[in-house]
Amino acid sequence: MSALASSIASLRQLLSERFPQVTRSPTRVLPTGIPSLDDLTGGLPRHALTELVCVAPSSGSQLLIGQLLHAIRTGTGRAALIESSDSFDPNSWPADDLRCLVWLRCRNAGEALSVADLFARDANLDLVLLDLRRTASRELHRIPASTWYRLQRAVEQTNASLLAITPTAMVPSAQLRLTLAQSLGPAAQNTPRPQLTAALNLSVQRQRLSSQLVVG
Amino acid sequence: MFAVLYLADFSLQAVLRNEPAKAHQPAALFAASTKKSLVLSTNLRARTAGVELGMTASQAVARCPSLLIRTLQLSAEAEARSTLLALSFTLSPNVEATAPGICTIDLKGCDPTKLSAQARTAVTSLTHLGLPATCGLAVSPLLALYAARVASPVLYVTDAAAFLAPLPLATADPSPEFATVLAQWGLRTLGDFTALPRDEIVRRFGAAGLALWHRASGGSPRPLHLVTLPQTFFASLEFEESIETLEPLLFILRRFLDRLSLELTATHHVAAEMKLTLSLEDETRHNRSFRLPEPTADVEILFRTLHTHLESLQTAASVCALDLQITPTRPLVRQQGLFESGLRDPHGFAETLARAMAIIGPDRVGTPQLEDTHRPDAFTLTPPADVIAAPASPPLHPAIGLPLRRYRPPLPARLELTDGRATYLWTALMHGEISTQLGPWPANGHWWQADRAWHRTEWDIALTEGGLYRLLQIGDAWFIEGEYD
Repeated sequence: MSALASSIASLRQLLSERFPQVTRSPTRVLPTGIPSLDDLTGGLPRHALTELVCVAPSSGSQLLIGQLLHAIRTGTGRAALIESSDSFDPNSWPADDLRCLVWLRCRNAGEALSVADLFARDANLDLVLLDLRRTASRELHRIPASTWYRLQRAVEQTNASLLAITPTAMVPSAQLRLTLAQSLGPAAQNTPRPQLTAALNLSVQRQRLSSQLVVG
Repeated sequence: MFAVLYLADFSLQAVLRNEPAKAHQPAALFAASTKKSLVLSTNLRARTAGVELGMTASQAVARCPSLLIRTLQLSAEAEARSTLLALSFTLSPNVEATAPGICTIDLKGCDPTKLSAQARTAVTSLTHLGLPATCGLAVSPLLALYAARVASPVLYVTDAAAFLAPLPLATADPSPEFATVLAQWGLRTLGDFTALPRDEIVRRFGAAGLALWHRASGGSPRPLHLVTLPQTFFASLEFEESIETLEPLLFILRRFLDRLSLELTATHHVAAEMKLTLSLEDETRHNRSFRLPEPTADVEILFRTLHTHLESLQTAASVCALDLQITPTRPLVRQQGLFESGLRDPHGFAETLARAMAIIGPDRVGTPQLEDTHRPDAFTLTPPADVIAAPASPPLHPAIGLPLRRYRPPLPARLELTDGRATYLWTALMHGEISTQLGPWPANGHWWQADRAWHRTEWDIALTEGGLYRLLQIGDAWFIEGEYD
């Protein structure tokens, strides 16, 4: 496996030396209204699969989902939320933000991935959220890498951003990998949500996107 | 100018069009499946093999062992007749259903230079619909019919006399006695007959002779008995043998939709809803309505909607009959508002939703709508809207605290209590020392309805190792309702 990885690395090196002038096309991004994300990458990349790794409990992944819904609603778009464990709480959010949402309450990761494959190909959506955070690691690690590459290929053909929320880094085809590593303390329960959103501590683990950004 | 669309061996064609795999086999049509039933119609291959009208089944099979034996199917004939009529309306609105398998069309006002091309298109469309047809174009309906009978596949008659002259006398359908006399006179063709002086024919044969002479000379223009397309869009078929697989069902549905779409287009309608009924062998029925996200007459979209539903459908018994009804409406002309969110591809979206529903169930897909109650986790799922109104103004007072990530159902929990405070938590998914506890917040509702009353007490707790949770007490039981995330 390591020999294969080193072969691929050397092939990449060779290609970059052979074709130094080749540049990637600019990345179109979806502005999120989350300062730590918009400052780092301009927003969520469109036509691409992004992975959000939530290592710690209460790290703000639902806060991020709610803010993305608000951004989509403000931009008159549509979003799909596909969950493997039926954990979304509509009562935590303003009714108006939910109007742009299609919520898919799957029973396991297999169902969620099948549904995500359908929605990643739909031309009507701006954002597809695949929430696997509560899925058992054993079940997640049974997902073949080809499934993730298939999802990446599917979303490339549309205008949507596909965000997979996972408990550990596991999406090999992710063009952008973000991490939420810090648990929020009890003080968060007395803090207005806009302040909590502004304070979300996102870090970038991997970025395979062009440095040229086009917002919209 | 008149056109005639003609389906040779109409009753047999109507039956065989539902069996495309057997289209190239010799076939004969019988009135019933009894021993004494006689051949009513044959196709060219059967005729070539020596099968003749009036033979019994055993005589016909003796001549042609590979003969397909079929009986009359009134529902298949009705479907074929409707298809021919609907397609005739693509040429002109003045259509006469002259006879089964024959439609006469008045082409007054049409561009004469384009008639042949239009007729060719109509014939090609009929062939694609499983009904190989021919078309004749001429100055009178009768002449157009003669032309259609010999066309391959379109014949435009410009010189009537030259066209009629070599046709056999039988073309004008003389009575048997008449035909015998004319044969004794040595007359074989219409040209031979019309060469005789008309007055002499009338003097010898009277009115019958005059009528034959008129028919032999191609008739004259006449007003058509115009028909209109039905305003109900319905198709139905009973299968001779019940169907157990998807492919034949889809094949028939495609045929239905091709015809219904033609009728919708001809009457300037689009489909708003489809109702599918499958009658099963066990005398039950499967009914399903499909409300289209955007009314359309596009066959592909209508077919895909049905296909998506049927490919995940399992019935308890095989299908013995099929009904499809379309509710028509006028095409939409509304323009969407600048700040409204419409769908870029409404039919694609409906199909995606239908496929998702087939995987996870229709009750688990939709847009959440909050209920007007304080009862916890109260919401309903509604079908996603086709058009979403512009966003409302943001609330004056933003929400405080983290949103909840629920456990459905809540996780049963055990607590260690010290001096009335919870100090340690155990659940199936997590455990740990409790560092902070906020609450209690008692709540109740619907106390006036015994079956819906609820009463609970909530706390917010933080674990020392990280994690904020909602702790819930109902009676003496403890639960973790969700994680603040």
